[in-house]
Order: sequence, then C-alpha cells, then structure tokens
Amino acid sequence: MKKIRLTVIAIVLMLVALTACGSNDTPAATTGSTAPQESKSSPAAADKGKDLPKVVALLNGNLGDKSFFDSANNGMKLVQDQIGSETKVIEMGFDNTKWEPTLLDISDQDYDVIIVGTWQMQEILQRVAPQYPDKKYIIFDSAVDYSKGDLKNVYSITFKQNEASYLAGALAASVASTTELPNSNGKKLISAVAGMDIPVINDFLAGYIQGAKDVVPDVKVAISYVNDFNDTAKAKELALAQFKMGSSVGFNVAAQAGLGLIDAAKTSNVYAIGVDADQAMSMQATNPDTAKLIVTSVLKNIDNVLLRSIEMHIAGTLKYGEVDVLGIKEKAVGLADNEIYQSVIPQAMRDKIIELQAKIENGETAVLSAFTLKPEEFNALKNSVKP
Amino acid sequence: METLVSLIFTTDFISSVIRVTTPILLATMAVLVSSRAGVLNISIEGTMLFSALMGVVGSSYTGSAWLGLLIAVISGVAFSYLLAFFHLRLKTDVILTGIALNLFSSGFTVFLLFMLTGDKGVSTKLASKVLPNINIPFIEDIPVLGKIISGQNFLTYAAVISVIALHIFLRKTRTGTYIRAVGESPEAVATAGKSVNNIRQTALLISGGLAGLGGAFMSMAYLSMFTKDMIAGRGFIALAAEAMGMSNPFLSFLASLLFGFADALSNNLQLINIPSELTRVVPYLLTIIALAIYAARAKAKSKS
Repeated sequence: MKKIRLTVIAIVLMLVALTACGSNDTPAATTGSTAPQESKSSPAAADKGKDLPKVVALLNGNLGDKSFFDSANNGMKLVQDQIGSETKVIEMGFDNTKWEPTLLDISDQDYDVIIVGTWQMQEILQRVAPQYPDKKYIIFDSAVDYSKGDLKNVYSITFKQNEASYLAGALAASVASTTELPNSNGKKLISAVAGMDIPVINDFLAGYIQGAKDVVPDVKVAISYVNDFNDTAKAKELALAQFKMGSSVGFNVAAQAGLGLIDAAKTSNVYAIGVDADQAMSMQATNPDTAKLIVTSVLKNIDNVLLRSIEMHIAGTLKYGEVDVLGIKEKAVGLADNEIYQSVIPQAMRDKIIELQAKIENGETAVLSAFTLKPEEFNALKNSVKP
Repeated sequence: METLVSLIFTTDFISSVIRVTTPILLATMAVLVSSRAGVLNISIEGTMLFSALMGVVGSSYTGSAWLGLLIAVISGVAFSYLLAFFHLRLKTDVILTGIALNLFSSGFTVFLLFMLTGDKGVSTKLASKVLPNINIPFIEDIPVLGKIISGQNFLTYAAVISVIALHIFLRKTRTGTYIRAVGESPEAVATAGKSVNNIRQTALLISGGLAGLGGAFMSMAYLSMFTKDMIAGRGFIALAAEAMGMSNPFLSFLASLLFGFADALSNNLQLINIPSELTRVVPYLLTIIALAIYAARAKAKSKS
C-alpha cells in the first residue's frame, strides 16, 4: 500500500514538473505568449505600416547573450523606429525540436518577412522556405545551399570578418610600434590567440596580418591556436607566453576561450582586442580595470544589417535567392568605437583607421580572405610575420 | 634550437609549468584516493567543473574568496556524494555513473549560470574574487629559486601539501589503512566486520573535496571567471597521471608534473615556428606512452 502511494506521488510530482517545464516553453508554440516583445509594435507603427511589411525575427536561443541575438533584437527595434514596420521578436529557446514547428507556424501567419539566424537554422529553413513561396525569408551569419531546392524567396547574409580584422591589425600594429601608450613597449610585436585552424577563423587572421603589415611593414605577429573554443585556461597560457615574448596587443579570435587572452592581458598589463560583441562594454560594469585594456572589438553588426535588408526589401532591391557577403561598406562589420577607444587611442591613430576604412569602402584596398587564399598562401602570409 | 632553450630555461616557463600542473595535480590526487579504495572516480572532470562554478558564485555572493573556496570544496564533496549514492547504495556501474555525472555537470553548470546571470558562456557578470598568491618570507629573497618557490597561488601550495598529506593519511591513519585494505581486498574488510561501502564512500568524498580544490583553482586562481566546460579534459589527464604514477602519491605527483611540462612546452613551442598540429600532439603522445607503460605493468603483474 505504502509503495503504491509513493508511486502515485512520484508520478504526480513528475507530471507537475513536466507541465511546469512546458508552460515555460510555450512561446515557441504560440506566438501570443511572447508578451514582452509584443509591446514593441506601437499603434503608430501599425497605422503607418499599411504598405510596410510585417517583419518577424525568430531567434534560436534567448536574448541576453550580449552578442548575436541582442544585436538582432536591436536591429528589429531600429526597423520599427526608423521604418515604422510592425515587428516582432520571438525567442525560440534552446530546444531545437521546437524551431522547425515554430518556423512553420509563423510562416502560416500574415508576416511578410521572416528573419532567422545562425548555421543551426540553415537546414530547417531549406526545408520550410520552399513550402511558402509567397513569404520572404532572411537568414543572417549563414547561407542556405541554393542548389538544395527552390529557394528564390531566401536572402542569405554572411560577413566579411577579414575587413574589420584588417582595421584591428592596423590598429594593433600602430599601438605596438609606439611607446607613447603606457602599456605598449614599442617592439612592433603583436599577437592573436585563435580558436581552431579553420577557414572562418583564419579569415580573421588574414585580415589582421595584412592590416598590420600595411601600416608597419616590419611588424611581427605571433599566432597560437587553442584547438578548441572552450579551454579558456589554455588560451590564457598561450596569451601569457605571447605577452612574455614582448607582444603589446593581443587579438581574441577564440570566442569564449579567448576570454583567457583578455584575462592574460590584464595580468601582463597589455592591450587586447575583443571579438563579435563589444567586449569592453560587456565587462565594464564588473571588471572596469580589465575593460580599460580592451581598446576595441571586431564587431558583427547584425542590427545594421537587418535594418539595411528591410530598407532594401521595401525599395524592392533586396536580392532574394542570393547570398550577400557584407563588409565594412555596408556597416555589417567594423571596430567598436567606444569611450575606451576614444580615450586610449591617440587622435592620429584613430584618423589613420578612418583613412584605412575609407580605402576599403571605396575598393582601393582589397583585404585578403582565408576563404580564397590557398592553404600554402595563407601559411606563407603567416610565416612572413613570424616573430 | 637556441630559441627553444632560451624559452625553457626561464623562471617564466617554470612558473607556467607550475600553473598548468596545479589543477592536474589536485585532480590526480582526487583520482588516487578513490582508486586506492577500489572505486575509480572518473567523474572528477564534472566535479571540478561544478566546483569551479560554485566557487565563483559563492565568492561573488559572500564577497570573500575564502568562503568561495569553502563552498567549492563542499560542492565537490556533495557532487561526489551523488556518485557514492548511485554506485554504492543503488549499485549502478561506477564508470557509467561517472560518465553520466560528467555530462550532467556540463549541462547543469550552464543552466545554473544562465539562471544566475542570464549568460550561458561566462560568469563575467558576477563580481567573483580571486585567491591570493602567497609570498614566503626569506625564501622569496633567494635569487632564482625564490621566484619559483615563492609567490605561487595558495592552492598550488595546497596541492603540494595534499601529496604529502595523502601519503601520510594512507600510510599512518586508521581510515587510510581501511581505504587501502578495501581497495586490495574488500572481502577481507567485510569479514573483519567493517562496512566496505562506508569506507568507499569516505574515499569518494575526500576525492570530491580534492577535485573541488582543483575546480576552485581553475575559476578563482588560474582564471578570474567561470566559463562553460572550462576544465577541458584536465580531469581525464589526471586519470592517466594517476595510472602512470602507479597509485603512489609521489610518483603520481611526478607524472602530473610531466603532463604539466608537456602542456606548457606545447604552448610555448607554438611561438617558435612549430605548427600547432604538431605541438598539440605532445601531451597526448605522453598520455599514450603512460597508458602503454600502465598496461605493460598490469600484464607483468598478472603473470607473476
């Protein structure tokens, strides 16, 4: 008897737990329960937006990541404020079994443009988009495989991280070749801690090296690979070795592991350059001393890109059925221009960066890309700056 | 070659070896206690990860690095209790439970981090504390040696002390003797009227506490934050180091030092024109050699 009672209690508890989980996740299934986002579509926008497209962004994660999704959310706010479209952001959470049903669900509703992001949504979008030829889809930071079906209604956006890295390299080399700045030794040695030896990471490095060489021809660049994106302690150890060698600026190209480089920069009292999001601003509240050393970050501006895409959609110039690789010119990538950058980097160097940026924009400087370089060409580039 | 020599024979390199070795050493001692009791604790990796997070969380909420360390150790003990409970009371397989706990820890720490900070990768939002480096008076004034021996992190000294303490504990104390006995002949211990499970549980809890120190070193000394999956295999390297050290505290210490040296060497080799594909092989190559020695030893033992 006692056993039966215990079993019943156990089952009831399990059910309670399950339903509790379920109710937390409902935003995925029913769009109505994403209350916080809904308030963003103001009535004014709805009036104005008669001919304007209704835009929805489905994020396969949650907001608050200080990077990708927050930037996308900000982009939707820009679309609403500057264009006046009715917008909505839906956080689909991390349960990837819910992403496809949600995308189907949203596609059935009266949205005109549906935005998704990251490589994880690529295959799902490839399956869903052909079923709704009247809807328009945008995917950022990944490209669908257009040979995999009728994807005329999908616009893919990828980023030219090498262009922003070029500016980062130019800045790092300028900083390292002067003793004007308190934490630089003037030895013309800079460094980077990279995640893995793969094209997308090497693309950052190609730009970084080229930018550094263009500004300081005899610059040396020390590059170490962590060989994963998690081992923060190893990244710190690698960075410490580089800084001991005399590097004055370290570039984080290892996502989360790269935080070890920033920690090492703090220990060695040298400068660091962040990646993806503005890492100085994200650390300023809790670690102001560390934040001060992060002179800039190489950014992917998803917000600008989404705004641009919707503007072009309205103008009818958005090239659906194609991949666009966006760079500095489209303000899709760039350096973080924050108060630390303004206060640490001297005026002359900042002017130089603006000049270099203009050269990339008008096509005068073609930045090398690891996607187009042959492996031996890339190695030759690395060896040409080996310390 | 000259650059290599100039790279290795510096106090900086030796400091690097010590830094890299400390977490491996603590983990090795954690494995050692459990393996001496005849229950190989392969969940050290997960235990360290959990403790690393709890140390950061604890130090940020209490505002004290020492309380954070205490919380990390308690968390390590509590986490190991899970293994003890499942394996000793519910009779699950120790290896499978260990794997399950490692996977659980990897996910659960991210979940906790997200609940507490809203971030899923790093704990930079928590203003956590760092354990201090300790300068030993007099010794720090000795020219070269002083720089190496003095000024290391508190937990580095704790790790070295744990080697000696563990040796004495296993040899000289009653509980230590029981632990060795239960590892070598559980039937004899049972016949003597002692509970095998209780002794093994004690060993696992000590193992968890040591792993907790290792985890705290990762997030409160080596780095000043917790990051997702930050232990990155150090708990598994410890299994190899313990095997190579033949379950002897001092030999295991030397083995972990060897792994620390290999790792530090591979980090520094990258700077001098040696491709990263080659340098990253160094620690694993040593692991394979270690395991081969271990296997050969076991074979020789079974023959005799």
